Amino acid sequence: MKIVAAYKWTADPQEAQVAADGRVDLSRARPVVSGYDAVAIEVGSRLAKDGGELVGASVGGPATASPIAVKTALARGLDRTVVVADDAVDGAGTAAAARVLAAVVQHIGDVDVVLTGDCSIDVAARMVPAVLAGVLGWPALTDVTAVEPMADGTLRVERVVPEGVQVLAVQTPAVIAVATDAAVPRVPGMKDVLAAGRKPVEKLDLAALGVEPTELTALAGTVRARAQAERAVRKQHVIDTADPAVAAAELVDTLREAGVW
Amino acid sequence: MSRDSWVVVGGHPGIANLIGTAHGLGGTVRAVVIGPPSLALRAATAGVDQVVWLGEPVDAPVEAYAKAAGEVVAAQPGVVFVGRRPAERVLAGAVAAALGAPVLTDVRSVAADGEQIVVTHSTYNGAAQQTVAHAGPVVLVIDGGGIPAQASGAAPVTETLTQPRQGITVLETTPPAFAAADLSSATRVIGVGRGLRCKEDLPLVESLADAAKAELACSRPLAEGLNWLGRDRYLGISGQQIAPELYLAVGLSGQLQHMAGVRGAKVIVSVNSDPDAPIVAEADYVLVGDLYELVPAITAALR
Repeated sequence: MKIVAAYKWTADPQEAQVAADGRVDLSRARPVVSGYDAVAIEVGSRLAKDGGELVGASVGGPATASPIAVKTALARGLDRTVVVADDAVDGAGTAAAARVLAAVVQHIGDVDVVLTGDCSIDVAARMVPAVLAGVLGWPALTDVTAVEPMADGTLRVERVVPEGVQVLAVQTPAVIAVATDAAVPRVPGMKDVLAAGRKPVEKLDLAALGVEPTELTALAGTVRARAQAERAVRKQHVIDTADPAVAAAELVDTLREAGVW
Repeated sequence: MSRDSWVVVGGHPGIANLIGTAHGLGGTVRAVVIGPPSLALRAATAGVDQVVWLGEPVDAPVEAYAKAAGEVVAAQPGVVFVGRRPAERVLAGAVAAALGAPVLTDVRSVAADGEQIVVTHSTYNGAAQQTVAHAGPVVLVIDGGGIPAQASGAAPVTETLTQPRQGITVLETTPPAFAAADLSSATRVIGVGRGLRCKEDLPLVESLADAAKAELACSRPLAEGLNWLGRDRYLGISGQQIAPELYLAVGLSGQLQHMAGVRGAKVIVSVNSDPDAPIVAEADYVLVGDLYELVPAITAALR
């Protein structure tokens, strides 16, 4: 089975600086393989255990192809990785990223399943797997907690829906977005990191994939304004907790006065 | 200038906000429906102009109709409104791909401006927002809203039951481990995070929720991974997003992903041991200390 794990190279947004003009600066935040995508790589690694191949696919800005980015991803269990690092992809939005990822998957060829995290840790639009499947014309399922191959070539997939735990058979090729608890991502050891340095990395540009940059700018649209998110001003009133009973009484009184209790 | 639009209905009747927002663009509003006949009828009597019904998934999930939904919408392109539930997102992705259109989530407003569609939406886990103009159709993922009221008259329903389905089959569904929760209409919500040491300590917070007449909610790890509470009780960018009168967070640090789901609350209270936790900056009232002492004290004060 040929498995692709799509991953994003980004940073924890908790450490991001959002300027008053709405520009997000991640330069001081530590870059990582987006946490939920690390789960996808782990699930892929288990699926590939019996003679399968696990190929990474990552699209984004220039940092996506940096030695630290590819090595970190490879150390998580990929056999090789294919990256597209282009300013035209960075910031062009969810649909553009999915469009380029689809081209990468087609370039890799004969892929049975693409695994992704369910959400990027930075933008968190939660739409890449769905658009990717749409562009490829493949079925997609999200919030998947378990995936395993069946004898007839389909995938047995489990997920939690409001009606309970659903077990499904999915024809391949397919796109599967995994839930956070589908697997616990490994902590790469020294052996993994050393091995990662010897694994193949393929760097592609948009031209090699037949993607026109104008297609991406059209998907990005024209930004007319940026801003910090509007936030309600909070009181940040600290209640002294030296005596829990007194603190509790003050809280309850205050909230009753405010009419919310 | 008015714009024609589509509302994509994927198995769930909570579509009032989709239809209402679509009407704001002033053009024809069409609905493509995947679900039982009653859902197609519900959409047809909710004030739309036309319904295309793709059929009822019996042994297949809603997602199996994604490609078909994309083809129907692409035949008459327009601005597309889709809900934010998992299956609806898969439909949104297929429709966007079929239209060659962008997808925008966490949408605040949408308007037609001459030839362009102008959308303001938040991004980066709700930390930033931007206003973007698009020349072509766009797919907008927004909160579906409640079940729509019945309008006078019904729109014509076109049955398109021959569209090919994608290869997904439901083999079995086992009943959920937790009773279903609806946090969206709760006046008060109490959220619990990793500050709680073990599942056996949940009754501590449950007693508080009981005394406060509040719904119990949690951070993502408690529902996904630890499985202490049902997945429909976790709050955040990818979970439930709430706007109650009161949100009381217990043992929760307030990561960006969590806060994106609770900022709509009128009053936010934090009970947490860390005075430097991110939630402190976003709370109205802050109690720094041991939740194992503070929570029972608040419960007692309420009784």
